[in-house]
Amino acid sequence: MNRKDIIRKSLIGLAGLVIMIFAGISFYQHRHYKEQVVISDQVKVKKLGDYFAAIKGTNNDCNIYIVEGTEPGATMMVLGGSHPEEPAGRLAAWIMVENSHIQKGRLIVVLSANHSATTVTRPSGAYPQLFTIPTTWGGQKFRMGDRWSNPLDQWPDPEVYIHYPSKQNLAYMDIRNLNRAWPGRANGTLTEKTTFAFMNLIRQEKVDVVIDLHEAELQYPVINTIVTHEKGQDLATMASMTLTDFEGFSIGTEFSPKNLHGLSHREIGDFSDAISLLFEAPEPFLDATRGITGEKQLLEGKDAFVVKAGKHGLLYAPIDDNGWPIATRVGRHTSTILQVMTSWNEFHPEKEIVCEGVPKYKELIAKGVGAFLLDPKTAGAGKVIFE
Amino acid sequence: MYTSAAIVLGVMVLFYFIALWIKLSTELAMLVAAVAGAFAGGHFFPARHVAEGAITYLDINLIFFCATLFMNILKESGGVAYAVRSIIKTFHKSRVLLLILLAFLLLIPGALTGAGSVTVLIVGSMVAVVLNYMGVTKIKTAAIIFLIAGLSAAAPPVSLWAMMTAAGVNMPYVGFFWPLLIPCVIGALFTIFYLGWKGTKIDVDKAFEELPVPPEKMNWTRIAIPFLIFFVLMFMGRKWPHDTPVVGMPLMFLFAALASWLLSPKKIDLFKISAATLKQLLPLIGTLTCVGILVQIMTLTGVRGLLAITFITLPAFLVIGSLFFFLPITESVLMYGSAAVFGVPLVLLFNSMGLNPIVALAGMSVIWPLGDALPPTAIIGRLTVDVAGAKDSYGKFLKQCIVPAIVIMILGTLMVIYSKHLGFLTGI
Repeated sequence: MNRKDIIRKSLIGLAGLVIMIFAGISFYQHRHYKEQVVISDQVKVKKLGDYFAAIKGTNNDCNIYIVEGTEPGATMMVLGGSHPEEPAGRLAAWIMVENSHIQKGRLIVVLSANHSATTVTRPSGAYPQLFTIPTTWGGQKFRMGDRWSNPLDQWPDPEVYIHYPSKQNLAYMDIRNLNRAWPGRANGTLTEKTTFAFMNLIRQEKVDVVIDLHEAELQYPVINTIVTHEKGQDLATMASMTLTDFEGFSIGTEFSPKNLHGLSHREIGDFSDAISLLFEAPEPFLDATRGITGEKQLLEGKDAFVVKAGKHGLLYAPIDDNGWPIATRVGRHTSTILQVMTSWNEFHPEKEIVCEGVPKYKELIAKGVGAFLLDPKTAGAGKVIFE
Repeated sequence: MYTSAAIVLGVMVLFYFIALWIKLSTELAMLVAAVAGAFAGGHFFPARHVAEGAITYLDINLIFFCATLFMNILKESGGVAYAVRSIIKTFHKSRVLLLILLAFLLLIPGALTGAGSVTVLIVGSMVAVVLNYMGVTKIKTAAIIFLIAGLSAAAPPVSLWAMMTAAGVNMPYVGFFWPLLIPCVIGALFTIFYLGWKGTKIDVDKAFEELPVPPEKMNWTRIAIPFLIFFVLMFMGRKWPHDTPVVGMPLMFLFAALASWLLSPKKIDLFKISAATLKQLLPLIGTLTCVGILVQIMTLTGVRGLLAITFITLPAFLVIGSLFFFLPITESVLMYGSAAVFGVPLVLLFNSMGLNPIVALAGMSVIWPLGDALPPTAIIGRLTVDVAGAKDSYGKFLKQCIVPAIVIMILGTLMVIYSKHLGFLTGI
């Protein structure tokens, strides 16, 4: 190697090192960023590992928030963060934890169902690592995540992912997709162990209804809808009809296909006594035709390219220049959760769940998501939990 | 949004060609275009995006390396020479059988590794010797090897164009086996018979004189066991998925490579052959790494969205009717990156048109590799001409490729058009 080559290679090596250091710092900060949750006296916090020891101490040993009512009643569980690249699901769950006052029954909320997936963003997706929801007290930061568990926690992927126990063939990377890993496996991968632990929780806590919160690209046919297991058809249909009539937005109902395995709406219903529902809100950020990718698009949900796709009839949900702002998407989720509670109570007056304090669709649009996030600085001792 | 994305796209194209003009390699030109695009998009130098984009195809790169290492060990041990000699010895009396076997011999390395260049490097020179002694001119031989090498890269189980596009639209890489295998086999057989049918009877003795001599102890068992290990691991993962640890394809290939190394009748320096493999693959690994970076910056700046929305809103007949030349041209500029950048919107469009996205993507995957013969890159085309020892002009080589290439283009386009009717091939 001559002198010129040595200099050239040294410079390339140095450039690589600089990129590595800056990128490494940024990856580390994202993975270890601590989101703050403010809880009330009514909330008890457990860990997922309490329901399955093999999860203890792993990156998926997430917090389980249990809001206990003063009177007995039904138990409802809300899952946020199954797919952490769908932030409205996590934020709706956040608002439930920080604002719910349960009078009857019990509400169990999960903010990071696949915590591992909250610590990574998708390669070539150019996602922002963090996003800020503006508040009167300065704004609260959240991690943006991915659809799949972090490869640092679970790798390599198989040649093809064969779901347990159905043996259905799925895409290889979906072995890290929490919503393709239900009902889980005790000796499986981290993602399968996670859903296995959730199934234990659902059975031990005698959960009546599980709601899994999601968002979808507008080019995806399952959108603006409640997907329900056959056990929840009446409940979902009643909620959908009422919301469409009274809340100012329409939401459909779809039945969980019996031969599509690994999804929460199918497997939780099949493998436990709980009714399983999955909500899908529209998220233009996930569309492959999206334009400039960043925090602004993620939160405002405005995108000229996606609008153009809509004009050409290529979308399954409407979109105009106003986009799908985060408050609208979160509001759809909170209103639908509350309506499911109301409809449940109509069907089961002997075992009600009564929740107050959670903002609905119109209130969220009027005041914004930030209006319902609590300031950790003013919280009492022991009332700030880290996600 | 349109204006800013269009400006960034313009800057990227400009810097890409400037980089090529100052004689940088294609992969470095892509990196330059990405960094320039990031600057133009107001992101200064986004180290995190560069690093994150660079690891997009890490798994594929690992498969590339491990599979090629396996193939290189097999070649170094004399296994490939032994197989070629055995085929000639057994089938030299039947030109038909010999051509069919040579076509399959050319299809295997690329199908396993996803890289046509691996086919060219592993079996290209030996197949060239055989074809030459069958009276096929060197330039026709080069065309045969190039075209089948391209098809081998598109063939299952590893087809990078299909894998990269499928990943881009969150579509499982499942159901592709037959839709990819059938056109690749048809295309390969047509190519070898069209270009290799006319010739002379093979002179076995002369061919054997020129072919490398395998070590005495080499036999079919030593060749077959590593393949058997690979396929047994694959089979176990599918048959008993919940009792078998997840190994991953790179490690499966490494096990096969290790078996090939242990069974080699002659001593092979593992470090030396690993280093040589890495050096051999550097342009391809570099391409995939830089494509990842480019796609990440294009997504960040809205360029990817601009291209996607432009394509999917064009009249369908125009899109499908131009696939046959559009795909090879994008391949010649972006190589595998063309799948991530253009394949994704095309599959979305076909899906929205009610076509079968798996069969349509398989059809496109067969057309893409034809671009590897075209400038500005033409790396695999030129490599093949070299390996085949052809002294004619590059233009003559391209001329030989025309008829089979047209057949492959028609085959691929028909698969897109009739994808709905061919949906049964997916088995889904």
